[in-house]
Amino acid sequence: MLKLKKVISMFLAIAMCLGMAACSTPGQNQEPAKPADAAAAAPAETAPDRKVLRYSLTADAPTLDPQLMNSIPSSTVGFHIYEGLMRNHVGEIQPGMAESYEISEDGKTYTFHLRDAKWSDGVQIKAQDYEYAIRRLVDPATASDYSFLVTSLIKNAGDINAGKMAVEELGVKAVDDKTLTIELNNPTGYFLSMLSMSQLCPVRQDLVEKYGKDFSADADKNVYSGPFIVKEWKHEDRIILEKNPNYWNADAIKLDEVDILTVADPMTAVAMFEQGELDQVNVPAEVLENYKDKVIYYNDGANDFMKLNMDGSSELSNKDLRLAINYALNREDYILLSSQNLYQPNTRYVLPQVKGINGDYGDDYPYEAFPLKGDAAKAKEHLAKAMEALGVTDPASIDIELLTTDAERTRIEAEVLQNQIQTALGITVTIRQVPYKQRLQMESDHEFEMVVTGWVPDYPDPMSYLELWPTGSPYNHGSYSSEVYDGYIKDALTNTDPVKRMEALFNAEKTLLEDGGIVPLQLRRNAMLLSPKVQGFETYFVGINYDYLYADIVE
Amino acid sequence: MRKYIFKRVIISLITIWVLATIVFILVRLMPGDPFSSDKMTPEIKANIESYYGFDKPLIEQYFTYMKNIVKGDFGYSMKYVNQSVNKIIADSFPYSFDLGMRALSLSISLGLTFGIIAALYRGRHLDYVCVIIAIIGTSVPDFIIGALLQYFFGIKWGLFPVAQYQGIKHTILPSIALGFYTMAMVSRLMRASMLEVVQQDYIKTAKSKGISKFRITYKHQIRNAIMPVVTVLGPTVASVLTGTFVIESIYAIPGMGKYYVQSVQNLDYSLILGMTIFYGAFLVLANMIVDILYGVIDPRIRVSGR
Repeated sequence: MLKLKKVISMFLAIAMCLGMAACSTPGQNQEPAKPADAAAAAPAETAPDRKVLRYSLTADAPTLDPQLMNSIPSSTVGFHIYEGLMRNHVGEIQPGMAESYEISEDGKTYTFHLRDAKWSDGVQIKAQDYEYAIRRLVDPATASDYSFLVTSLIKNAGDINAGKMAVEELGVKAVDDKTLTIELNNPTGYFLSMLSMSQLCPVRQDLVEKYGKDFSADADKNVYSGPFIVKEWKHEDRIILEKNPNYWNADAIKLDEVDILTVADPMTAVAMFEQGELDQVNVPAEVLENYKDKVIYYNDGANDFMKLNMDGSSELSNKDLRLAINYALNREDYILLSSQNLYQPNTRYVLPQVKGINGDYGDDYPYEAFPLKGDAAKAKEHLAKAMEALGVTDPASIDIELLTTDAERTRIEAEVLQNQIQTALGITVTIRQVPYKQRLQMESDHEFEMVVTGWVPDYPDPMSYLELWPTGSPYNHGSYSSEVYDGYIKDALTNTDPVKRMEALFNAEKTLLEDGGIVPLQLRRNAMLLSPKVQGFETYFVGINYDYLYADIVE
Repeated sequence: MRKYIFKRVIISLITIWVLATIVFILVRLMPGDPFSSDKMTPEIKANIESYYGFDKPLIEQYFTYMKNIVKGDFGYSMKYVNQSVNKIIADSFPYSFDLGMRALSLSISLGLTFGIIAALYRGRHLDYVCVIIAIIGTSVPDFIIGALLQYFFGIKWGLFPVAQYQGIKHTILPSIALGFYTMAMVSRLMRASMLEVVQQDYIKTAKSKGISKFRITYKHQIRNAIMPVVTVLGPTVASVLTGTFVIESIYAIPGMGKYYVQSVQNLDYSLILGMTIFYGAFLVLANMIVDILYGVIDPRIRVSGR
């Protein structure tokens, strides 16, 4: 023990000395830091003439397994490392792995002819890789949340996913190494545009079986079919993509490398952009004012609205009350107060940017269901009718709970909504904030009266929004039910005339809003800063945020 | 001593088992579930629940989980679906540990020095300087200190990198930001403790015996004053070494703290459990080391511990 005493007193003496010295160089007395040093070597080898694009994510991609992807950051990376049968380049459908395709006369059977191409490890890409991948997506044993993409679309997919049918019965067949047929339930015009989604991209059966649960868990536990390969994946830190020399269209790809850094704090990301460490960054609303003249705005497809519970458990089953709330809101003020005008006020339901007939849906079918500034007179009118029907004399006795997530931004949103509705109508609105996951569960359990929620599209067609509200739809959490609406949707699902189909969809949207089925609020926008040396960096609003397939760095 | 340590290990194992059980029950009681999403349908949810074995009775799930823990297998994350919890901890803990060690060595050495100087020069300028630093450290939250350091040293003066963890230079700002609070706490504690010790009889005795001032301070005062500091160091070391959400977020460091907070937000059951047990085990270990250190520093405790 005497020895130990000496050690302790020595430690104290050293500690004191260090106190004087350590001020400017903390940690120098430590063993050399392993993670820090290992990382230091990686970026140093970047040659000066390499074309490198650098951007950041607020959280790491949860997975790079194509069939298990369920988030935009993941699928944005997936878009650039996996090759679908077709490519959706910011809305323009280009050939992908399929060199050509035929569609049967009834519009339900697609036959794809694959080009000669190789995986990043040199193995030939075959039609069987697609067959296996799509079966894997639908297979209940895979437990993919994104199987919903195809469960009602591809023949037998729904039954297979529910465990009622063998996975071999799926309407996806590899006729030979180069030919793949896909059978659909209905003629679906937007099907080709969906084929570039990562969930429908090929995987190799031998690797899935080799790695099991760890498949794609690291850069070297998968092979890649797209323009880039994953060179390095340090979780929660960085994903480094490198140009895939085996890519069939490698000549069109100009970037040598893409560095995707995880930077949780958006202000840190802005600081890194200012220091030249990032080429692209999204500016948070709080500091948008400082960058007003430099930012580029883009819609990310998110459409925020309030779901109203119409199952009879609350006063919101009354249509006039729902319309009164819709007319009462001044959405322009709401946007200014809750997002400093970053988001856009909105009084329709379908994102105007999705594909219409001649151009964007919003240009083909302009529509404003309620005035952006609201209409106090109409709101009062509907309120009077509602009170009569509900047998209420004092509007304040109508008490509605507004459910929202417990984040700072959503709190402000809810307070603005509460204030506007209470002031305009005199009814009582009580805010209830719960954690995000709880809100989602309460929504799907129909345990709410009015909830601030949203939707992002999965394919660039109005149906991606409108499929929520048919009677009995699993997403119809508000129990909206209208025979007229259901009729239009049914018509749109089966009609092979694209113009008539689109008209049916527009009529469905109008019906939903005229019934006050939802309370539209805002379209989300991002404001990004982009380095002037980056060209061809595109943003998109379906499935991915960024498309840098053909981007270039010009010094 | 050996018997004492053996007893402590047994108690520690029981503590961790109780912790695991309580957390296992608590995560299931939290409202919501890990698989809720905007686009979830009942059929797909059923598939996912059966994939994770959630369709089995809870008690069966508990025993399966406990069996796996004994084997050292924490299962797979429910958010980062291809990542095992073991792998996430193995990937992220070294960063937190590295940063934590730097922060600790800085904060303990500086904290002790400031505390001792302040006590020796009580009521004089040097004392005030040390006390002011300590007050700033304990009252200003780490996200302010982190952001200020980042703004001035990173952005404005460009002396250090703004973020990321890639070399010695990158570690300096986050180490200071992380260690500042601990440094302030240690210096306050040390100062108070030194002032208390100086009034003890044995110091007077030593003085009357004519021992030199340096020897009294070094041999008697510091040695006796350091006990309370060692007491708080156990839990502090454990919490600093296992990472902090705020500093890791500000400086974009892929450490454990960020995963821990996000796992709770995502209701990622397996990750919450794995991280909590790991953290708990670490805390228990740190406290045990402190207890053993007591005996080394103060033989009276060792005698009674026997």
